[in-house]
Amino acid sequence: MDDVAEVVERKPPAPERTGTSAAVQAEALVKHYPSKTGVIEAVRGVDLRIEAGEIFGFLGPNGAGKSTTVRMLTTLLSITSGVARVGGVDVAREPDAVRRLIGVALQEAGLDPRQTGRELLVLQAQLFGLSAHAATARAQDLLALVELEEAADRRIKGYSGGMKRRLDLASALVHEPDVLFLDEPTTGLDPASRLTVWEELRRINERGTTIFLTTQYLEEADQLCDRLAIIDNGLLVREGTPARLKAELRERLSLASEPTLDDVYLDATGRTRSRVAGEVQEVSA
Amino acid sequence: MSLAWVLGKRALREGWRTPEALLPTLFIPLFFLVVNVGQAAKIFPSSSTAFLHGQGYGAFQLPSSLLLAASFGTAALFLVEDIEGGYFDKLRATPVPRTVLVLGRLIAESVKAVFIATVIVLVGLIFGISVASGPLGFVLLVGLTALWAVVYVGFMQLIALKTRSAAATNSGGLVFFPLLFLTPNFVPRHLLTRPMEIAATFNPVTYLMEALRSLILQDLVWSRILPGFAVVAVLGALMLALNVRMIRHYD
Repeated sequence: MDDVAEVVERKPPAPERTGTSAAVQAEALVKHYPSKTGVIEAVRGVDLRIEAGEIFGFLGPNGAGKSTTVRMLTTLLSITSGVARVGGVDVAREPDAVRRLIGVALQEAGLDPRQTGRELLVLQAQLFGLSAHAATARAQDLLALVELEEAADRRIKGYSGGMKRRLDLASALVHEPDVLFLDEPTTGLDPASRLTVWEELRRINERGTTIFLTTQYLEEADQLCDRLAIIDNGLLVREGTPARLKAELRERLSLASEPTLDDVYLDATGRTRSRVAGEVQEVSA
Repeated sequence: MSLAWVLGKRALREGWRTPEALLPTLFIPLFFLVVNVGQAAKIFPSSSTAFLHGQGYGAFQLPSSLLLAASFGTAALFLVEDIEGGYFDKLRATPVPRTVLVLGRLIAESVKAVFIATVIVLVGLIFGISVASGPLGFVLLVGLTALWAVVYVGFMQLIALKTRSAAATNSGGLVFFPLLFLTPNFVPRHLLTRPMEIAATFNPVTYLMEALRSLILQDLVWSRILPGFAVVAVLGALMLALNVRMIRHYD
């Protein structure tokens, strides 16, 4: 607990929090990129509200605007228009205050391959204000949490994909963030590693951390998420609990059996599929 | 500042663990020193060449090698690796001041440059070059070289942050060669042709080279030394400001 106390001790005065208790809130969030052919509208007015303690899934096809939204919410990308708040703190106005509240693990585990796992975690903890001593202790705790104690003093370049993901996850937790943003945390992992990450995410969530995760794996969303939203072409096209979204589709299309989340996703994104003898034949836009 | 040092230590570890990136910064400047001396030493015998102040031509050429060693800017290439690998975003997502993200690498670069400059000067001493300005001159010689390394890596970091491309950053490093050769590299400024003399006068690297050369060949001649420090002070402040501005607007 000493290290946690130290984080609190070193925190600057509390930022101005507005609104209600939503962990993450976005209103009419827009991101435009200039391009040679004009303006690319990556996100076109997204409204989100994620309550504290939720695991929220953000789904969508490649290029739909998932990562762009996450990057705006995590202060890594400027916001063209609209408002985003994390823990009630305005992302654009008080980015440093937001950074203290969030943990971030983006697509392609962003790690320094020349450091050891332990060095990386100690450095990350120090950047969040822990003393060298407290950072070392925190790193040890996190290495145990993600089961990387044996590999702790090996250079990261020798880690497997699953180990890198788990280390990335640990590095996002050094300061015990209120909200954890994970951009496709299990992409590229084998099924066993994926299950391990899911288990870790559940444990982290049980401790009270809100989790915002993007994924392309519908099973992952179904297994983990309390609520989810589907984004397509920069716009939210569905939002709700997995059960509610399935029930809505069943009711609307008068389906005889319970649809899967795949069906919800395909319906929401305007894609279709034909099944032949139970196998997926084709998915087309 | 302590956070900048934390990041600086990480950058030093990175350099130490990549000797293949560090060794050319030692080897190539020494190679140029040997080759340049080999080609021109007979033209400028120390006994009859006033601008050598009694030393060999190697002493006159040593500043070129020091400046070359300080202008590799490998830290900027490591920065591109951080950007491409996603680690730079990890650092940007921490609440440290943006200035610290820039300063970390610059501090590490200055430490590396002190080490490299010291080794090169010591090799020069072994081969008969002396630092005429004494121990203080030695410190100023190494210090000025290290400060130039910080300025130049600041310039290369700008390219890295703007382009996010290793190829573009690497190419940016080549800018130093025209700057180096538009200086009184082989002879003092007054012996250059008129167009070259004009070009050298407008080239800030000239004042660095003359300051370093003065420290090696003469006693402490402040009128020669201070312009060199003024160049790194002005360009250093400019590079730091531009780097911080770039990183604040980095999307």
